[in-house]
Amino acid sequence: MVGPQYDLVGNPLGAVRATFERTAAAAAAESGGADPVAAFRGKDWGAGDLFRSFLFEQDGLAKVPVLDASNLGLIKPNTLVRYRGMVQDMLGNEYYIGAFKDGSTWRTNKYTDFSPFSMPHPCDSHLWERHLFHCVPAPGQNSWTLESSPGPDVRRMSNCLAPELREKRKRDGDDDAMDVSENGHKESSFCKKPKEGDVHVSSSSTEVAGTVPEMNGGDHHIPGSSFSCLVKIYDMPESQVKLNDVIEFIGVYTFDPELAAPSDNPDDIMLDLMEDVTVQLPPSKVPRLHCLVWGKLSSHDFISRPVVEPSPSLLKGIRQSLLSHLTLVLGNDELAAQCLLLHLLSRLRSRVDVVTVGRLSLNFTGFNKESASIFGNQLYSLIQKLVPYSQAIPLSIDYLNSATLQPRKDNKSGRLVTGVLQLPQGTHLTFDETLLQTGSLTCKGVENTMLLKNLMESQKVDYDFEYYKLEMTADVQLLTLSEGKSNILPSDLVVPFRPSSVPTVNAGAEETESWRWYLATVRSLPQSTEPETYQMIQDEMVSAMRDDRSLGCSELSRWLTMAQIMALSFGEKSLSLEHWHMVKELERLRKQRMQ
Amino acid sequence: MASNAGGSSPPSASSPDGRPSSPLPVTNSSPSQPTRRSGGRRRRGSASPYASSPSLGGFETPPHPGRRTPSGAGAGAARQQRQNWAGRFPPTPSTPMSTDDIPPSSEAGDDETDGGGGGGGVDATPVFVWGTNISVQDVNAAILRFLRHFRDPRDAGRVDPVMDEGKYMRAIHRILELEGGESLDVDAHDVFDHDPDLYSKMVRYPLEVLAIFDIVLMDLVARIEPLFEKHIQTRIYNLKSSICLRNLNPSDIEKMVSIKGMIIRCSSVIPELKEAVFRCLVCGFYSDPVMVDRGRVTEPHICQKEQCKATNSMTLVHNRCRFSDRQIIKLQETPDEIPEGGTPHTVSVLMHDKLVDAGKPGDRVEITGIYRAMSIRVGPTQRTVKSIFKTYIDCLHIKKTDKSRLHVEDTMDIDSSNASKSTEEDFLSDKVEKLKELSKLPDIYDRLTRSLAPNIWELDDVKRGLLCQLFGGNPLKLPSGASFRGDINILLVGDPGTSKSQLLQYMHKLSPRGIYTSGRGSSAVGLTAYVAKDPETGETVLESGALVLSDKGVCCIDEFDKMSDNARSMLHEVMEQQTVSIAKAGIIASLNARTSVLACANPTESRYNPRLSVIDNIHLAPTLLSRFDLIYLILDKADEQTDRRLAKHIVSLHFENPNLEELEVLDLQTLVSYISYARKYIQPQLSDEAAEELTRGYVEMRKRGNSPGSRKKVITATARQIESLIRLSEALARMRFSEVVEVQDVVEAFRLLEVAMQQSATDHATGTIDMDLIMTGISASERLRRENLVAATRNLIVEKMQLGGPSMRMTELLEELRKQSSMEIHLHELRGALGTLMTEGAVIIHGDNVKRV
Repeated sequence: MVGPQYDLVGNPLGAVRATFERTAAAAAAESGGADPVAAFRGKDWGAGDLFRSFLFEQDGLAKVPVLDASNLGLIKPNTLVRYRGMVQDMLGNEYYIGAFKDGSTWRTNKYTDFSPFSMPHPCDSHLWERHLFHCVPAPGQNSWTLESSPGPDVRRMSNCLAPELREKRKRDGDDDAMDVSENGHKESSFCKKPKEGDVHVSSSSTEVAGTVPEMNGGDHHIPGSSFSCLVKIYDMPESQVKLNDVIEFIGVYTFDPELAAPSDNPDDIMLDLMEDVTVQLPPSKVPRLHCLVWGKLSSHDFISRPVVEPSPSLLKGIRQSLLSHLTLVLGNDELAAQCLLLHLLSRLRSRVDVVTVGRLSLNFTGFNKESASIFGNQLYSLIQKLVPYSQAIPLSIDYLNSATLQPRKDNKSGRLVTGVLQLPQGTHLTFDETLLQTGSLTCKGVENTMLLKNLMESQKVDYDFEYYKLEMTADVQLLTLSEGKSNILPSDLVVPFRPSSVPTVNAGAEETESWRWYLATVRSLPQSTEPETYQMIQDEMVSAMRDDRSLGCSELSRWLTMAQIMALSFGEKSLSLEHWHMVKELERLRKQRMQ
Repeated sequence: MASNAGGSSPPSASSPDGRPSSPLPVTNSSPSQPTRRSGGRRRRGSASPYASSPSLGGFETPPHPGRRTPSGAGAGAARQQRQNWAGRFPPTPSTPMSTDDIPPSSEAGDDETDGGGGGGGVDATPVFVWGTNISVQDVNAAILRFLRHFRDPRDAGRVDPVMDEGKYMRAIHRILELEGGESLDVDAHDVFDHDPDLYSKMVRYPLEVLAIFDIVLMDLVARIEPLFEKHIQTRIYNLKSSICLRNLNPSDIEKMVSIKGMIIRCSSVIPELKEAVFRCLVCGFYSDPVMVDRGRVTEPHICQKEQCKATNSMTLVHNRCRFSDRQIIKLQETPDEIPEGGTPHTVSVLMHDKLVDAGKPGDRVEITGIYRAMSIRVGPTQRTVKSIFKTYIDCLHIKKTDKSRLHVEDTMDIDSSNASKSTEEDFLSDKVEKLKELSKLPDIYDRLTRSLAPNIWELDDVKRGLLCQLFGGNPLKLPSGASFRGDINILLVGDPGTSKSQLLQYMHKLSPRGIYTSGRGSSAVGLTAYVAKDPETGETVLESGALVLSDKGVCCIDEFDKMSDNARSMLHEVMEQQTVSIAKAGIIASLNARTSVLACANPTESRYNPRLSVIDNIHLAPTLLSRFDLIYLILDKADEQTDRRLAKHIVSLHFENPNLEELEVLDLQTLVSYISYARKYIQPQLSDEAAEELTRGYVEMRKRGNSPGSRKKVITATARQIESLIRLSEALARMRFSEVVEVQDVVEAFRLLEVAMQQSATDHATGTIDMDLIMTGISASERLRRENLVAATRNLIVEKMQLGGPSMRMTELLEELRKQSSMEIHLHELRGALGTLMTEGAVIIHGDNVKRV
């Protein structure tokens, strides 16, 4: 049921309104004049479906430009954009007049902040709600995630879109008038507003242009944690979105500089407390996005490889090439490479009470400052190329004493002030402990250490809410490079590092691509559960315990985790004795080194 | 539907949530309003209960009883109200009502309709509040009935002529007498009990109904005490259902809601103009007070003094104006309402007058109020209204709730002190029902055991002991002053890596007031109490240590063995007398420390040496050791069976295997409530049979030591054990929510004690249980051995050495002894034996030489 064909990218709101008015009219006819719109609260009347079918069935996705810091000033307000970001803060709900009666027709304000039509006073209207999320580019997002997947397309897209936009901007007034006349409603106040807006846009665009190069300069991290976006989501229970989720939103980009105008009404002095947090996020800095369609992003979404059935033979091949590359990077230390592979493939599988299952944090010992700078850098740049989100943290006394690791709620401003440990699920963290010197930790340093330890042991981060702490679950892979066994960060697996050559390797783009795909695929492989396996594993454990009385619960548990990952790394869904023995052999070699 | 006062029947389309969104309701344009208004009289000094400002538009001063005319009085009032409420959304600086709107009047109410303007009026046609089916007269009458006739069911038993009046009439009289109160707290539960219909109307249309409530109240007051000047405000509290802050949605707007949360911010107190007084700059004439109408004051253009008549000469005199207080606080969801992966929601709450500063940041409160929304004006000069609304709650009543994490226990505390039925009691009784149901399950004991640290594998008996500790026994205080503790102390001794610390951590989480310390880092004063000098005043102050802080809780001490002896000795008093006594620096005090101690220790040689006794394994003073009711040895035994169970446990953690993890387990929250409920409300008493069983079992235990044929006397139980047994069986009864300790509890208590004793007090030389091991550190068999040795040595000396003859070297003696007896004898043992002989005066020892005397 696609009515008058709107340019869904250029004028999404037109389409939204058209569908609304049509549905409302139909509903009104059906119900015979009773309130037809009440039923639309918290529901979609078909606009969402229209966009979904346009985006995913008619290939419209490629036409939608990606909103980022670089093109913020170039994209025209009230157009459809895509935006990828991490939910950094949840700002609660916002009530707005969702529908009102203009004469005899019902109109909607959904997906905008401003009513495009002046609302007659008084009028019948409905109050609807929407959820506000403050989103930022995912911290530690690696640059390849931008280039890959929709990346190249979009880059090209936005490049060719830009001149078009500029052209559009020249005949702006006409354009809007056209839009409006398309709707069949001439509304003078509406025509003027966007113009004012545009003035601001151009000014803010120069401002943005000034800062962009600088922001992009910072190596592989996504520029501009300063670039954030206020996303307004409709029609869904808030619980569907969790803090720190990385989500792609497709929606209407709006720009209403008037909203930012500080109210200097003296009567409102007392209202500062009533003021919602959006005031601190002026539209000129933080674009508003009214989300039509959204979806959570997994690491697969960053990989442009065509969908291939992950057959064990294929996976085995890639595993071999990745393992040999890891070995080279680690100076021909195969044991370390094996462990690193398992570590990279680990993920939090389940949480039973305080016990976390599936994590495998790794600690390479035997580094000193020099070797850490040689191997550590190589290793980190490789990890950067392999996983979507990664960060390297230099663990020095200075850092511990000064860094803000803990996210903290600022009750004054009502916002969550981010900390280093506010990370999307699946982030990889590399700690360089060789920088740690003797010294004294301040109060903050101790707190930071506790946070790190807690993250390591239970994969949880305490967020500071001033009057209490709120535990947020995390799924973070932790790799520590240290001289001896790290006591600050007690890892699951400690491997003395014994390189025999200096790494001088560079991987081809094609290979890297396949490795990324491999890591993402294996990490998401399901695990089968067969009763025979349990029995077999139990027998194995009992015999292992008989051989070595020092084996404890934690060690056996780790073995099992490693064996499971080992099996997955070959693309096998169920664990077999072979993998168990491989892990045991690995452990034997490791223990040998430990002595 | 009868004709509406405004002349238009409410459109069917207006649903409650639709109404507020219209910036200016239709009634506002009712032409008859100005005349009616000007005809009305307003009494001086009637303070508006709900503040108003141009932007906030809290609702307006309710009209005064005095304004009524006999016919359709209610109608006028209600319409007036309605119109005033329309000012809630004053989006425009639209022309206010005419300036002659408020003619000053100092008269009090002049007349009354029958029954307080109820339905008694003969010619009154039913009048409805706009847009609703509320008949003003009906509501009026219902409220009056409620105020006059509601009697607290709890008062029913009392026959007291003075108490003959209803609960709220008494309250009103009290207010009048004291002249202090300006508000009447009305329990919504009472309203519901008296008239459910009125309750539902009040919740759905709080603005209208509360305004009528106030009017009725003022009428009532005016009739009792015509000179009473203050305005009494109705404060509703204790709604039947409270809503979660997160679940507030547009349909709750303009409804009365009750929400719980934590105050995170308070604004400063904002004075709000209520009545303005102007002075003429020309002649100094003071104008009559001008009421603030919807946040605006109209400055008189012309001086009203006949002689002056100067124009634009009036100026506001601040110190003659009347102000009221107002404050905005931010309320945040309580942590337990936040779903996983979410951040707390906040809402602004507007406080008036007396409510200002009723809560501080950090307080947990329950707020009853009206949920409101207001539109946001884009700019002061712009007419456009954003489509976005801001929401806030107009606070009617604020109640502080608990602060502790153990909400169940604490809310119950509050309830019992209030002795009032409250929403949370409803909620709780619900919860309590559930707990009681749980307690009736036949396998509750096992279920509780499984629920305790489910991730820690095995150690079922240890967990049972810990459960007993959590539930605790009954403390007993004899009239003579002697008291027996009810707390159960437990010591865990074990090999490293047997998840002792994890158990401790878990217990710490579970117990109502848990303190977790590590022995290595604890000093004696840190555990008990210490005296410190206040840096500012220089006064000595007493600071509580861990044990005092965990009064009525569990104090978990990890690494007990690594604690300094000094610190450990402090525990003696705590563990039996349950107090901490301090005498230093001018402070002599005895603090309560009714705490259960859960300690865990590693054996001295890091691994438990089965050859040595417990005492030798852990270097603890036997006196201290005996104060532990249960001592568990958690040993890492080479046992195929346990290994297999461990393996099974690990595997089940890793695979979600339905076969393995299908055990029903209480979640932590439920477990905590279960325990705290039991601790608070269940005080089991020993039944006669149980007491008999206890005696019988104890005697049997004692007997076991002196089995016929055995020469040595082994003490297998002491009086301390019988106390422990009573505590344990009481705790076990509590687990079932049983008020009576039954035989089964005693039997289980014996079993638990035995399991623990078997592990700790078994004399490894003989394999029997020997309490002496714990009491004195020496087992009976050991003592016997020593006696034998002494006898053998004496014989040897008598045999080999002459009285006063040459001395013998000790090593020679040892050689001889070894030849004679089959026993393995060490030099130090011999030295000990000789020492005994020397005290007897049989020998003299010079260094290594022994001489018979």
